[in-house]
Amino acid sequence: MSSRDVAPYSSERHPAQLADVLERVLDKGIVIAGDIQINLLDIELLTVKIRLLIASADKAREMGIDWWQGDPFLHGRNGQSQLEERLRKLEEKAGLPTTPEEEES
Amino acid sequence: MSTASGAVPLGEDDAGWYLYGVVSAEEAPTRLDSWAAVDPRHEVGVLVEGPLAGVTSCVSLQEFDEAALPERLGDAAWLEQKIRAHEQVLEGVLENAPVVPCRFCTVYRSEEDLRRFLSERSDALAAALETVAGRVELGVKAFVDRDRFASGGALRNDSIRELADRVSGAQGGRAYLESRRLEQLVRDELARFSGEVGAELHARLRAAAEDGVQLSLQKPELSGREEEMLFNGAYLVEDRRRFEQGLEALAGEYRETGIELELTGPWPPYNFVPEELGRA
Repeated sequence: MSSRDVAPYSSERHPAQLADVLERVLDKGIVIAGDIQINLLDIELLTVKIRLLIASADKAREMGIDWWQGDPFLHGRNGQSQLEERLRKLEEKAGLPTTPEEEES
Repeated sequence: MSTASGAVPLGEDDAGWYLYGVVSAEEAPTRLDSWAAVDPRHEVGVLVEGPLAGVTSCVSLQEFDEAALPERLGDAAWLEQKIRAHEQVLEGVLENAPVVPCRFCTVYRSEEDLRRFLSERSDALAAALETVAGRVELGVKAFVDRDRFASGGALRNDSIRELADRVSGAQGGRAYLESRRLEQLVRDELARFSGEVGAELHARLRAAAEDGVQLSLQKPELSGREEEMLFNGAYLVEDRRRFEQGLEALAGEYRETGIELELTGPWPPYNFVPEELGRA
């Protein structure tokens, strides 16, 4: 059993994964509505982007949040073909000539 | 910081007040010097206003600018440093006092604006503090290893067990077809079982806590684990020992099915404070 799994009771802190911190700090906690807050916190922008970030790495990447691009997990052939698929869909939507499509079985 | 332009004194024109969270003035932390602020040039401090206090530090309004924010969020190094600082300050506070955590990037233009917030929203803030006092947020996630599920939990299904027996005895083309069919059945069974496990976990954990919410599942590229996440929950817990013992029992029950539970926290109670306090 790895140390991250549920171990016999101990009072020590359990390690914080970046994803768990992101999920909370960026998307939870009080949001102060109204007058006094500096205008830099565009709540809508943040929540939309971050919900996407949490919900789907693919969608977040479409929106330009791409800092895990160096992650080998996303660099396989599969990632490439998903990217092409998305591009094709976008082109179709925009009424553009589409990227040549591979035969699908 | 070595350059002369590096240090921005508190309260200077381009400095804003970053608010991490709110505590009661009586329990406001006194030793803040060891915590790194979101802007490491400044120190974390406590601003007392009536019965409440804000845990705060100064930031550059140029760095925390609305227009620059989308780009900043795309900068891994910037984002991670800032959100980890936000989290670590709050964890430090949490060790000593109940805290109402703010969302990332809550910044006031001036000390006066921050004081006005603390005084005008004092009732709502005090109520939020009361809800979380003496309690911590704990996170629970469940992961499933597909291979271990196929040789564990899936075999509780009679038709899968029979088919698995046939596959292990079959040869050639028939074995191939049947093993493909078995894979499909195991996938379906996992989908069904995941829903069942999620509901069961949430019900039992919720019963050992004061409150609980289910969170979005994280994809493997975010969770950092190859196994599929099938449950993600957060609980507001008063009796941590009892909660963790209950969790341990659940982990024991599920282990042989191929499901592992992971505990995180204690967290500042991000999931158990009102998202909006509303207008004063």
